[in-house]
Amino acid sequence: MVLGTDEFRPLASVQASAHGLPDLPVVTVAHPIGGIAEALIRRKAEPIVDEVARALTAAPTASGDLFRGEAPGVHGAPEDLDDFQAWIMERGWGDGLPAIPATPARIGRMLTATERAPADVVAVLAPRLGEATVERIAANAVLAGALPEHFPVILAAVEAVADPAFNLQAVQTTTHPCSPLVIVNGPIVRRLGINAGGNALGQGTRANAVIGRALRLVLQNIGGARPGREDRATQGHPGKYSYCVAENEAGSPWEPLSVERGFEPSASTVTVCGSEAPHNVNDHGSTTALGIATTVAGTAAIVGHNNVYLGGELLLGLGPEHAVTAASSGWKKEDFKRAVWERSQLPLSRFTAENLARFAAIHPETFRDRAPDALVPMTRDWRDMMVIVTGGAGKHSVVIPTFGMTRSVTRRVGG
Amino acid sequence: MDMVDPSGRSVAASKALAKRPASLTGVVVGLLDNSKPNARALLDGVGQALRERFGAREIRLWDKPGSSRAAATEVLDDIAAACDVALTASAD
Repeated sequence: MVLGTDEFRPLASVQASAHGLPDLPVVTVAHPIGGIAEALIRRKAEPIVDEVARALTAAPTASGDLFRGEAPGVHGAPEDLDDFQAWIMERGWGDGLPAIPATPARIGRMLTATERAPADVVAVLAPRLGEATVERIAANAVLAGALPEHFPVILAAVEAVADPAFNLQAVQTTTHPCSPLVIVNGPIVRRLGINAGGNALGQGTRANAVIGRALRLVLQNIGGARPGREDRATQGHPGKYSYCVAENEAGSPWEPLSVERGFEPSASTVTVCGSEAPHNVNDHGSTTALGIATTVAGTAAIVGHNNVYLGGELLLGLGPEHAVTAASSGWKKEDFKRAVWERSQLPLSRFTAENLARFAAIHPETFRDRAPDALVPMTRDWRDMMVIVTGGAGKHSVVIPTFGMTRSVTRRVGG
Repeated sequence: MDMVDPSGRSVAASKALAKRPASLTGVVVGLLDNSKPNARALLDGVGQALRERFGAREIRLWDKPGSSRAAATEVLDDIAAACDVALTASAD
């Protein structure tokens, strides 16, 4: 049986179903148990003991509300577009923005963009263990407003989030605000007009908007991470609607992310990264690599992100002007990563005693029995600083912490 | 208008829940800590009451490597071999 807090009951139930045990007893106490005194926890334990004892001794009932077998096919949806919006929201398939009806005809057009068969399973997505077939991914791509030309990028992104290294189960269900940022590299960026220039992370470009939104709807509808239910994000962030950017390879003095990861320059790739919202880095003054790295490091150096105690990668999205300034000092990308890593370390005295006790259990090398002025790096290793170049004219960059218990994953588009 | 279902099916396979003992008297209770803050305290509190009020013979505790990681297969096998009933923590 499972013991949890009432806020987390829906997640525990879907989790049990995904493991084939829809009738697994779940007993809850009032949320939260974290961040309160231990004596209060004991008090919360008392009233549930009888229920726990019953759950451990009563013969399990077999209900079988577990859905298996044929996938539900086609539904009769309202013809009127205004009614349609209300209809999909009632079913939990929308994100709040207007959606395009996923009719068989539109899905048929989407499917012309791939040689894969409609029933091909691209991935199985947590927490629901939903089967992401080419056809069901296409249905969500249509809802998101994608065109067939966007579909190969969307398929590659779905494949990427299902890689075990990405830890989709946790990314989908955590209270942390992370969402997969889709970073696109290679010739497909220009071909599809994916924005890598001014306002690259903002609104105004269809390709960025619909690719990111299609992935989100796939994760919500096939993966079954419904906001406020299985998706337990405390606040989430605006990128959970859509989070897709291209690397500005033409504006970058360094090799692109895809080449750094072993792909040839002519390859088109997507990289998914379980990311927070961007934190801005304003540096209009520095004229050297060290200056830019120092300001970027200052924005990265915070006590309240996940990477500081869980590890994982931290993404630096340099504006092309900052990147060119850094390269003009003769720095390679790895020099920049190392400098930001070294300069973003914070003394142990910046962390609370309660957090230090917790972090010490998770990562003793950094947090256990060290002096108050001992330094804490923002990632375990300098190589965990990811660097891309993105954006247009201007003296801004972004720092994007990640969920921590996740690694970014790169896949070839159409591969 | 026809609309294709955007969720599709789940591949979750149905399994049977373990048989329960008729009472907790003399049983070994396994507790799996999800490593969230205070999960241990809550499990300890419940475990202690199961021993004192329901006659459980022994309370044994296991850990997960982190709240965002699944328990190792060996840990689950250990729990299954050593315990009559098991209780795991979820949430924070």
